[in-house]
Amino acid sequence: MDPILTYIIFLPMLTAALLGLTRASLPLLRLGTVLSSLLVFVLVMFVSMDFDPDGGMQFLRIVPWIAHYGITYYVGVDGLSLVLLILIAFLMPLLYLYMWKERRKGYWYNMMMLQTGVTGAVLSLDLILFYLFWETMLLPIFVMIGRYGNGMHQFNAMKIVLMTVLGSMSMLFSILYLGYDLFKQNGWWSFALSDLSMLQLNPQTTIWLAGGFLLAFAIKIPLVGFHTWMAPAYSSAPTPAVVILSAIMAKLGIYGLWRFGYGLFEQTLSYYAPFMMILAIIGLLYYAVHAIMEQNLRRMFAYSSGSHLSLIALGVFLTNVYAWGGSLYFIATHALSSAGIFIMIGLLYKRVKSVTIDELSGIASVAPRFAFFFVFFALSIAGLPGTGGFVAELLIIIGAFKVNVWIGVLTATTMLSSMLYIFWMLQRTIFGPPSMRTQIFVDLNSRELAMLIPIVLLLLITGIVPSLFIPLFEPYVTTALQDLMMTIGAK
Amino acid sequence: MFEQLFLILPMAIVVMGAFVLLLLSKTFSLDKLNLVAVFFLSLSFIIEILRFGTTTVCYSFPEIFGKMYIIDDFSILFDLMFTAGAILTLLINTAYFKSRNYYNGEYFALILFSVFGMMILAHSNELVTAFIALEIASLSVFALVGYHKYNKVSSEAMMKYMILGSMTGAFFILGTAFIYGAVGSTNLEDIAAYVNVPAEKDLVLVLIGGIFIMVTILFKMGAVPFHSWVVDVYQGAPFPVTMFMASTFKIALFAIALRLSLIDFASLNIVWSEILQVITVLTLIGGSFLAITQKSIKRMLAGSSVVHSGYMLIAYSSIGLGSDMAAPAIMFYLISYFLSAAGAFGILSFIATGSKKMMTYEDFKGFSERRPYLSAMMAIFMLSLSGFPSTIGFLGKFYIFTSAIESGQILLAGLGIVTAFISVYYYFKLIAMMYFYPSTDQQKKFPFDFSGLLIGVMAMMVIWGGVGTSLIPFIPGANGLIDIAKQAIDSLQNVL
Repeated sequence: MDPILTYIIFLPMLTAALLGLTRASLPLLRLGTVLSSLLVFVLVMFVSMDFDPDGGMQFLRIVPWIAHYGITYYVGVDGLSLVLLILIAFLMPLLYLYMWKERRKGYWYNMMMLQTGVTGAVLSLDLILFYLFWETMLLPIFVMIGRYGNGMHQFNAMKIVLMTVLGSMSMLFSILYLGYDLFKQNGWWSFALSDLSMLQLNPQTTIWLAGGFLLAFAIKIPLVGFHTWMAPAYSSAPTPAVVILSAIMAKLGIYGLWRFGYGLFEQTLSYYAPFMMILAIIGLLYYAVHAIMEQNLRRMFAYSSGSHLSLIALGVFLTNVYAWGGSLYFIATHALSSAGIFIMIGLLYKRVKSVTIDELSGIASVAPRFAFFFVFFALSIAGLPGTGGFVAELLIIIGAFKVNVWIGVLTATTMLSSMLYIFWMLQRTIFGPPSMRTQIFVDLNSRELAMLIPIVLLLLITGIVPSLFIPLFEPYVTTALQDLMMTIGAK
Repeated sequence: MFEQLFLILPMAIVVMGAFVLLLLSKTFSLDKLNLVAVFFLSLSFIIEILRFGTTTVCYSFPEIFGKMYIIDDFSILFDLMFTAGAILTLLINTAYFKSRNYYNGEYFALILFSVFGMMILAHSNELVTAFIALEIASLSVFALVGYHKYNKVSSEAMMKYMILGSMTGAFFILGTAFIYGAVGSTNLEDIAAYVNVPAEKDLVLVLIGGIFIMVTILFKMGAVPFHSWVVDVYQGAPFPVTMFMASTFKIALFAIALRLSLIDFASLNIVWSEILQVITVLTLIGGSFLAITQKSIKRMLAGSSVVHSGYMLIAYSSIGLGSDMAAPAIMFYLISYFLSAAGAFGILSFIATGSKKMMTYEDFKGFSERRPYLSAMMAIFMLSLSGFPSTIGFLGKFYIFTSAIESGQILLAGLGIVTAFISVYYYFKLIAMMYFYPSTDQQKKFPFDFSGLLIGVMAMMVIWGGVGTSLIPFIPGANGLIDIAKQAIDSLQNVL
């Protein structure tokens, strides 16, 4: 019954509420935000130090909430959620550093609310609580895209909300039905994951119920066919929102698939797996082709991130230890490199007011430091050996070959295609003679360096010494897979 | 004797207040009349709140009135909502009265008379009493709707509402007559005894009578296909009256509807439920169409109030089909809808005080820059109405859908979720308008006034009702409110 996770979840929101009600001035607001995010980071560090990799679910806290339906405030952390928790806590202060000069107060408030939303969704183990955070984190994104975005931002904000809410409503229906089924079988209500996963369900019904969950996660990831919100939202969202969208919220779709999909419907997912794998492979290739054709950098990296997320989703559905380990590792490293590249694009937009490839050229000759970081993050997205992405992609590809040679071959094309669009893009934007717009280009200042260097270092460490991190979640992957094989084998 | 009098004291205070207001209406200013009205209502409210949970079920003057007038937690909870609704209507609109020239003293008396009628309706244990109470309340509301008598729209709304309302009111008395013909009594317990005892009886008359009564109730709720009046009447009525109708008068119908289906026709629910299911489906779909096409916020809220009736009808048609939470779910939903709708309409009329505009989506562009707090509250109410989690509206829908699934009405619950999804569009559109567009007038205002404070308190309650724990005693949060609702419903079922 350790309250530390509760502090981690609610500290940003309480700070926002406190500062909002006192109508704090901008410097105070900025100070409060940064302090709260640093405090959260320190707390998360404490959690990860005390974390026992073999201990399963830890730091549990269960408080009754709505007694009649057995809904509890139930939070806890294990290897899977710890990875995401550390990511969020690590990226948030850097994002605040990015928006240091931001004068619009609503921006800061929304970021704090967003942090509470995503952290809560990662840590909650009660389905109603999870649903609450899952929906709540949408609201700041909606406001940030609609209010501070560019282009057709009002329309795109509405689009992302409607599509995601459609998914979460279908998930809500499945959650309600699961809770009712538990009540019918046992005579008591509960929405805790640990109780619901014990449930013996009628196979016909589970296909529908799992479908409800899958729709929500497929829209969030987004798998191909559910992706129409992605490129518009990425291109009109302000940079911090894009970073959160690609680095954290898309990963939450994968997380949900993992935790709730495999937690509740192991067997049904093996029924769905072939279809989902086909979708993921199509997505992998389709998004990559799109990324090659794209002129707008934001949209290009939106598609590139869609392609890599399809790869992660594929890894999840492959269900072997290489693919799962690789997927989990890729969640972390892709979050870092996509956060890096979207921050770079944000900095680029601040300087030249354009993210169209044709209008940029020769940045390397005007701003070498900028060019270095840009190239580094872009290459880390392409899976440059030495960065974490390479290790992760390799693991997933090995996992794919273990299952089927052809899936392996198709999966391996992701390396190739990402090299293609990344190098072509770099050639056109970074190198060559400076264009009209890039002739006056201010290089990175010390604040910007301070926020980029930690990401670079972490990416290098994850790439060169993966053995430092893998033990953190490796026990989780093996035990989860053993459970999975046992349940599928037993039935 | 005095105990008996004490039982009817809250009603008596309200009706006395109405007469006092009539007497004072020519001498006092509107401000003072408003305070007098609020004084009487709060007195009644306080007595009721002290009484909730402590009284056992009893009848007032049983030897004189028979068992016409029942006092239980169920009716007391409804009384609390009626008086609270009227108090909020009066206090939030203090400025509105002064900004329009057609208000005079009778307005306050009419509100109190209508509250009195609703209170009797909640307490009535007999069909004729219920009819009279319903007519007292309705007649007052008819007059209130047409209060702006030189305005064509207002008068048209009043005529429409009155003609249709009186006609459907007649169905109620016709149904009562049929039931009396079969049972020989209009007392609910006698009817229940007649219906529940399985014997060779002819229930046809009771069924037909019940359906007629249902027509009246469904009409007043605004269920499709009896919904044609809703949007026009809500649009035509002055803002405070719309607020009063949407938040308070709508609830009153559920008082009698719940009492009827839980006591009176409890064993016939199987027969109704099919009819009700069809009406529920129509209401959900029709209401969504009605709401999604509107340009004016007032009309959108009117259309969406039809959808909210639909949600409650989901649970209503599930009563008696296997879930004991269906009725408490309706009670909880009523509380949640009451808070959110009263808040939303309150803000609308609060804004309308200053200007004649501010009625369409377009007029809300950039509102958040002009009035940050007010638009934040509006956003909270919209989120609650659309059933977004962490507000009371989500839990209301959660209870409704869970009880429907529990009763085996899975498709109905699914349809409910689909309409909830559609409703996200028209509620979020308002939030988008308020937050996503720059304001034409850059001036920020943070005026402090009592009405704004009240709306703020309601917004807090909406949030607290959605996430509230039992950390703070005395203030029922998410968990406490459903217990209150359950307690009220239990008091109803103890009668038999």
